[in-house]
Amino acid sequence: MHIEERFEKGKRIFPSFELVTVPNEIVVIQTNAQRKELFLQAVQQQPDIHTYLSQQGEYERLTVEELLRFLIDLTGDPMSVQAWLERCHLQAERKTKICNLISSKQRYVRLLRVLFATQSSIVIEEPFFYLDDEDRLYMKQLLSALAQTKRVFIVTSNLEDALMVSTHIYRLDADGMKKFDIADEEAVNEEVEVEEAPPIKFEKISTRKNEKVILFDPPEIDYIESIEGSIVVHVGGENYTCAMTLTELEKRLQHYGFFRCHRSYIVNLQKVREIITWSKNSYSLRLHVHDDSVVPLSRTKLQELKMLLNI
Amino acid sequence: MNISIKRIRAIFMKDYKEFSRNYAVSIMVIFPLFFAFLFRDGGEVSIVFLLNVSFAMLTTFVQACLIAEEKEKNTLRSLMMTPASMLDVLLGKSALVAVISAIMMTLAVYIVGYTPTDIVPFVISMVLSIVLYTALGTICGLYSKTVLEASLAIFPVIIIFTMGPFGAAFEDKFALAKLLEYLPSSQLQLMLTNTAEVGVVMPLMIMLVWAIVVTAISFMLYKKRLMDA
Repeated sequence: MHIEERFEKGKRIFPSFELVTVPNEIVVIQTNAQRKELFLQAVQQQPDIHTYLSQQGEYERLTVEELLRFLIDLTGDPMSVQAWLERCHLQAERKTKICNLISSKQRYVRLLRVLFATQSSIVIEEPFFYLDDEDRLYMKQLLSALAQTKRVFIVTSNLEDALMVSTHIYRLDADGMKKFDIADEEAVNEEVEVEEAPPIKFEKISTRKNEKVILFDPPEIDYIESIEGSIVVHVGGENYTCAMTLTELEKRLQHYGFFRCHRSYIVNLQKVREIITWSKNSYSLRLHVHDDSVVPLSRTKLQELKMLLNI
Repeated sequence: MNISIKRIRAIFMKDYKEFSRNYAVSIMVIFPLFFAFLFRDGGEVSIVFLLNVSFAMLTTFVQACLIAEEKEKNTLRSLMMTPASMLDVLLGKSALVAVISAIMMTLAVYIVGYTPTDIVPFVISMVLSIVLYTALGTICGLYSKTVLEASLAIFPVIIIFTMGPFGAAFEDKFALAKLLEYLPSSQLQLMLTNTAEVGVVMPLMIMLVWAIVVTAISFMLYKKRLMDA
């Protein structure tokens, strides 16, 4: 099926595209509210498509049974009212007027119209919106069964609803209709988790003070200095000694925004407030911590720092 | 355009149930009976007034509300996607309104105790009026988006069609008022009260023309409005 491109205020909302169909499967089109509206307008102009809009009303004073009887008579459906009631799990509500049903069931009953569609393609707007979990499940079963004989398209702005009903999800945007690859996304997520999970355990910096081992999260650290061969970690005005070398620390902390500003200093750039220029070849970094510590910055590192900070 | 009796009957039954359970609209069926009690033993002028008001208040009102409610709830658009043709829908609805009107008018005439001098022209005029006022109701319903609008939209019909016969009183002052004589309601009055002078053929012919023209307009409008919707 071909959908023509749409413009709004001179901006292209979506280009012309072919509506993808998958035999025996529901196709979900996920898009924003504006595109949804324009897409539904375009679809309604096509012959042989049954469109269900979310603001569809119903003959509210009929009972569920009477409504089904009406729809059967109107469309010449071969199934009996009893069979339909069973199929839709509505035996308990058969004698209830539609206006007296709870709101989720009312929406569910309104959706039944699509099951009687005589057209070969059916486009449904937000079928799961405001449905209870139970009704969602029933509706999902009914629509999946419907997809065996008809081409069923669901248009939704809610990705969660889309994921629930089908694996054939397409995203409609300014570039057209594109497949939304769920399997790949999941794999990517897993990879990211694998990368991230172990470092969190490792990146704690272990220090010693008064025979106690104290662990710091990197963002807590103000700066690290090397005094006569021993490494001193400065955190909130207190000093702690660390057993690692500056090179090791630099390597481990550079992901956290730390910078080797001097041969014997590593500074947490998040805490740097000011670059002080003493003379042409002498610089310092003033930290934004309670005691206004100043850390030397070597001339060779200045260029690197400027690059890093985009200045 | 294909017509199916089964589908028309389905729409008729659906509308009957909806109508009978919607008391805001179905209360209107009492209207002709209420007037009939008021005008008991009245002359021919009062029976004509009763009929004309009842046609507008019952036939036109109910038809307009039925159509407007379908529009308000988007069920008319949905109905268009079923195998039911436009004609199926319109005939199903009109048939219901026509049957209700016919029953109520018969009862009202019976209560008033009116016996027409000639039964055949009277029945023909009633049938033509029901067709005409149903079509007017369709037009009112198509021009309104909600039931509320529809109940206001019928006021011009009530004023022009039922008050028409009284306009003849201004004939001396305004030449245009003479045109009011050609309203179907005026013709009904002339036919029933002044048979000797005007006969029955001329009034019935004028009413027939009215019925055909208004029905044709309502069909065309219905078709056009649904294409737009």
